[in-house]
Amino acid sequence: MNRKKRDAFAPFLNWLENGGNALDAEMQDALREHDPKEALPEKTKKAKKKAVPAQKDKAREERARKAYADSWWYRLLAVVTAVTLIWLLMEAVLQMPKFGAADTLIDSELTEFYVEHTKEETGAMNIVTGIILDYRGFDTLGESHVLFIAVCTVLLMLSIYGERDEESRLKRWEEERHYEPEHDVILQSAARLLTPLILIFGLYIIVNGHLSPGGGFSGGAVLGAGLILYQNAFGYEKIERFFTYKTFRWVSVCSLLFYSLAKGYHFFTGANHLDSHIPIGTPGNILSGGLLLPLNFVVGCVVACTMYALFTMFRKGEF
Amino acid sequence: MLEYVRQAAFAFLLLAGLFIQITAVIGVNRFRFSLNRLHPAGMADTLGLLLMALAAVVYAGFSAVTLKILLVVALFWITSPVCSHLIGRLVRETDEKHFEAEAKEWKP
Repeated sequence: MNRKKRDAFAPFLNWLENGGNALDAEMQDALREHDPKEALPEKTKKAKKKAVPAQKDKAREERARKAYADSWWYRLLAVVTAVTLIWLLMEAVLQMPKFGAADTLIDSELTEFYVEHTKEETGAMNIVTGIILDYRGFDTLGESHVLFIAVCTVLLMLSIYGERDEESRLKRWEEERHYEPEHDVILQSAARLLTPLILIFGLYIIVNGHLSPGGGFSGGAVLGAGLILYQNAFGYEKIERFFTYKTFRWVSVCSLLFYSLAKGYHFFTGANHLDSHIPIGTPGNILSGGLLLPLNFVVGCVVACTMYALFTMFRKGEF
Repeated sequence: MLEYVRQAAFAFLLLAGLFIQITAVIGVNRFRFSLNRLHPAGMADTLGLLLMALAAVVYAGFSAVTLKILLVVALFWITSPVCSHLIGRLVRETDEKHFEAEAKEWKP
């Protein structure tokens, strides 16, 4: 463990340790600025400093304590706000309809339309997926591209290949490699047990997106979290065996291309009142819902890649 | 009669879980040193969660959902102590003020 590594964590630890004291420190600073005694001319200040440093500290502490006592209304207001918010939210939760109740929210025409038509028109048991990937598929297409653009921006800003010359790039590469996790047996055993479970669960959420709550975005986030956990436990060399920059590039670009092409075809045929020849199948089966299953899968891939890429860029600046 | 016993058990478990969670919140806010803070934080994720999950199981009756709730508890019992361990290790390795002897050893 060298000094650099310790310094890198110093702000975090400082925050962890002194988080509760932040208010007090701020008050002390404010008091120091506004105190007329502190603003004495330079000479007298120096002379006094040597004489009574202990008393000064005591007086400062006393003032801070007084300021803390005077701000009782601030804390009272915080408690009142929190309790009011909790009460309002609890009240709202209690007034929600029961899960799966038949009369859930049928008070607007749009809701009624979705509830009645989603199943037969899109083949989705999960109405939310039917809406976001079919009725509002254009919106979701934009969202996936926003994720991709975000990753591109982060790549531009943080990638070590953005360094000016070869030397500084190599230097940074060495530095970043130095931050790799050490072998922690406890973390590794936990990760060995959990990573497959997390990845399978993420795939399950994605594949069942049109049948049960879930879908591409949530499942992709779970997949990305699994990758990050694996990387944290075993280091970059292990994960580079199956996930590199090349993988990231191919997976996300192919996914977005497929999404754009499939959705473009769907829009084109739909707008011209043509038959798209995409079978909807029996609602409730895994292989049903027309484009929903592949689109969910594609969105999941993009989200997982994005999460892992953001993590690795902020961590290391390279895949 | 049995119904009353069930409700009493539910109330007891829920209140015990709430007590643990509130203790943890107070502890995390009151302690000043990070390792001290880890202790109540870890308690909330393991014991507090277990008690509240058991309360939910008792309230809803035993069914397939029970298994899911217990799975959540199992996952938290695997992950939360690992997180505490990692944070504790990080503190010990990086805190020069409190672990001066170790810090000297690690100097390059």
